[in-house]
Amino acid sequence: MEQLLNIAIFMPLVGALLIAIVRQEKFSKILSIGISSVVFFIILYLFVSFNWQTPGFQYVTRFNWIPSLGISYHVGLDGMAISLLLMTALVFVVAFLWSWKVEDRPNLYFTLFLLLETACLGVFSALDFFLFYLFWEGMLIPMYFIIGMWGHERKVYAANKFFVYTFFGSVFLLLGLASIVVYGYVMTGKLSFDYLFHLGFSYPIWLQTAAFLLFGLGFAVKIPMWPVHTWLPDAHVEAPTAGSVILAAVLLKMGTFGFVRYSLPLFPEASKQFIPLIFFLSLVAIIYTAMMAIAQTHIKRLIAYSSISHMGVVTLGTFAMDLNALNGAIYMMVAHGLSSAALFMSAGFIYDRVHSYHMDDLGGLARYIPKLAVFLMISGLAGIGFPGFAGFVAEFLVFLGTYRNFPVWAFLAGVGVVLSAAYFLYMYKRVMFEEETLSEYRLEKWKHIKDLETHHAISFLLITIYALLMGLYPYPFVKIVEQTTKYVLGG
Amino acid sequence: MNWNVLLPELTLSLGILILFLLDLFASKKHYRALVYASILVVFASFLSVFFVEHPARSFFNLFEVNSVNLLGKAIIYVLTGLFLFAMQDYYERKDSVYTELSYIPLLTALGLSMVLSSANFLILFLSIELASISMYLMVSLARNEYSSKEAGFKYLIIGAVGTSMFALGSAFYYASTGSLFFSEYRDENTLFLLSMLLLLSAIALKASAVPYHFWTPDVYEGAPTPVTGYISSAPKVALYFLMVHLLFYFHHLKQWLLLVAVFSLLSMFYANVVAYAQKSVKRLLAYSTIAHSGYFFLGLAMLEPQLQKALLFYVSLYAFATLGSFVIMSALEKKEGFSHHLLDYRGLYKEHPVLASLFALFLFSFIGIPPMALFVGKLTLFMGLVNSMLFPLALFLVVASILSAGYYLRVLVSLFLEEGEKKYAPTRVSGGEAFALLLCSILVLLLGIFPHLLLDLIRL
Repeated sequence: MEQLLNIAIFMPLVGALLIAIVRQEKFSKILSIGISSVVFFIILYLFVSFNWQTPGFQYVTRFNWIPSLGISYHVGLDGMAISLLLMTALVFVVAFLWSWKVEDRPNLYFTLFLLLETACLGVFSALDFFLFYLFWEGMLIPMYFIIGMWGHERKVYAANKFFVYTFFGSVFLLLGLASIVVYGYVMTGKLSFDYLFHLGFSYPIWLQTAAFLLFGLGFAVKIPMWPVHTWLPDAHVEAPTAGSVILAAVLLKMGTFGFVRYSLPLFPEASKQFIPLIFFLSLVAIIYTAMMAIAQTHIKRLIAYSSISHMGVVTLGTFAMDLNALNGAIYMMVAHGLSSAALFMSAGFIYDRVHSYHMDDLGGLARYIPKLAVFLMISGLAGIGFPGFAGFVAEFLVFLGTYRNFPVWAFLAGVGVVLSAAYFLYMYKRVMFEEETLSEYRLEKWKHIKDLETHHAISFLLITIYALLMGLYPYPFVKIVEQTTKYVLGG
Repeated sequence: MNWNVLLPELTLSLGILILFLLDLFASKKHYRALVYASILVVFASFLSVFFVEHPARSFFNLFEVNSVNLLGKAIIYVLTGLFLFAMQDYYERKDSVYTELSYIPLLTALGLSMVLSSANFLILFLSIELASISMYLMVSLARNEYSSKEAGFKYLIIGAVGTSMFALGSAFYYASTGSLFFSEYRDENTLFLLSMLLLLSAIALKASAVPYHFWTPDVYEGAPTPVTGYISSAPKVALYFLMVHLLFYFHHLKQWLLLVAVFSLLSMFYANVVAYAQKSVKRLLAYSTIAHSGYFFLGLAMLEPQLQKALLFYVSLYAFATLGSFVIMSALEKKEGFSHHLLDYRGLYKEHPVLASLFALFLFSFIGIPPMALFVGKLTLFMGLVNSMLFPLALFLVVASILSAGYYLRVLVSLFLEEGEKKYAPTRVSGGEAFALLLCSILVLLLGIFPHLLLDLIRL
């Protein structure tokens, strides 16, 4: 069982090496899909056999790695990690399926995505600060090249912006890690990067504050929280579809995951201290970026802003210091991963067929690509938290929990969430209906566009099924998530 | 007299003398054989390091060896060997074959390894000069290259200023302590302070820290590219091993921390800003060296074994990364009309994916991305700084390294994300260059994943 997790983490890495050696297009595609599916089934198996009643980490592997610095290879999963891992594995399967028709340098493309998968799985499983940081930064290089090489017109600008912003955050995170490790060393005389070793400490408040800010800056850039969010719309707009899918579904979750895994349990007092600040930033994110989304005419940019807005709900729930809210926040991470992946896939599909992301060039597509119209509706509803989908359970829990301690904040945020319905329906109207605004010439051309192909349909189905399952029968999913929230909130 | 202590130096000297004699009878066509012979000499002295009994002193205590400076010597010999491997083909292609090139790098290595072992300012002065003068020669030895002569001349003049500062510093040291030996002198008087200031400045000049950096970009740009790689790696290693040694004798001065911090902050921020204005990749890397001097100086801020350990680890791996990147550039320079302008690097990935990927590896390691070893250097440096209660300096290091990411990215963008217009004849990478690159990149990667292999050897 323990070995299965290690196999899942490192199998994509081995796959990447194989692809780099063999360099056959067909081989790359089949191998990537094969490996990601195997990884998915391994993680599904781990998920099913996960015991939510026992506290603590499961499937733990640990051995000394760099003894003189107190660094060990230490991986293990708790409820939050396994939920995110399952979503990650699924989204990667979908991303590979979606990329079936990639023609531009396919070998390098799949190599980079497989590297990215190892990094993403590693971030959620690592229980050692050094290992965590290794994976955290490890995802930077593949993503940089994915945006920079397969992106649209302003890809270089977007890739550089992505890199510099993320690197900005992570160097502060590194300094934060170094500070608490050194503090542990000074206090106990033992140099250790181990997460569980540090979990037992209670740091003095000055260190908590400093480390919370340093960690928080690193996480906030990744989430992204307002006002360090500006890299995200550019990165999304320029990234290729599969890149956007991974970026929205997995990479953004690393930040919120970091808050729950590291900031809350390690710096509990500082977290309480910073509640007003975090709430303020979350609320700005929820309302301001939702309004930004309404103002967009570029559909990918609109979805990007909606992601920021949803991540605001996650940070709100994370710091509400309530079991339900935290459950909801983690649930939201998974739910948003699924819905945003589906939305970006729809946007990418539209671009594939019509070669435009701009609403002014679009309209009446429901007549020409009806299957996509259905799936876009489903993914949009999942995104705005329609009952029956995972997002609804998540938002419900977040607001329920937040309302108990902070009714005013919960009310304001609830108002903001209503806006999400507005921008999504507005986009749907402009893209799928309103045929009359378009020129004859354009409509004539669209008569021959092809609807969803098999690999597209499978991808959509996988995501929809998972989102529906989580929405209609949330009990086991919430229970598994609760295994984490209990220890995070000290219950 | 304990001759065993001098084993690596003796091997080198003997090798140099033999090569010198051979050179009298050799003509140009023996160039390759001579270079191989000199590689053998370096390899022999690298092996002899393992047979030195340590810790020990010799020559009336003028010369001392311990595990740390032996490690430094081993690193310097490896760097010298890799340089010799890489340069051989370069000079043949450039049609500027000098048989003298077989032993001049060995003279540098000899000087540098004596720097590490000296326990007296007189010996230190002589060995620094031996290394410097042979480096001036290496910089200027390129046929039909005006810029190389200019660089050599500039290096010589500014180096001479450093030399005189060093001499004056030693004189003041003698005046205040009454001896030229490194001694634990705990008094704080003006004379001693002045000597510290002069010595530190001289070493900062050799290590190209701001405000003594002016020679660096010009010399780096003008020198033959493999030589640039060498002068930005091996001497740096030697200087910082020396500084760690000297730190013990000067760290008690109140002004030490202030001076070191000023040098380091100036270097980091000045170089990381000015680098953005560079069009030539060679100059850009010169500024990156200056910025790294800033990072390394932070490791000297206080006497704290963790901090110095981090510094030595960082600088050793930095040396390999920088040698590797200059070797790549020298392999590219063999193309007709290649000028190291950023535009010349466009689309290199399509043309030569392996070289481009290795260059990317080194550039990412300069930025400090794991799993490259320079990241561990930066992390341990952070830990050392926090441990010595120098949190603000650590924050400055964070800001500086964020600042630096942008200009490395510019090179990466040229390499990977832009299309080249000019078509060059494809580059052939010689066996020697390939070997040097392989070893540099393996070290940078391997020691990033298993840093304790080197860290545990640095026993301070």
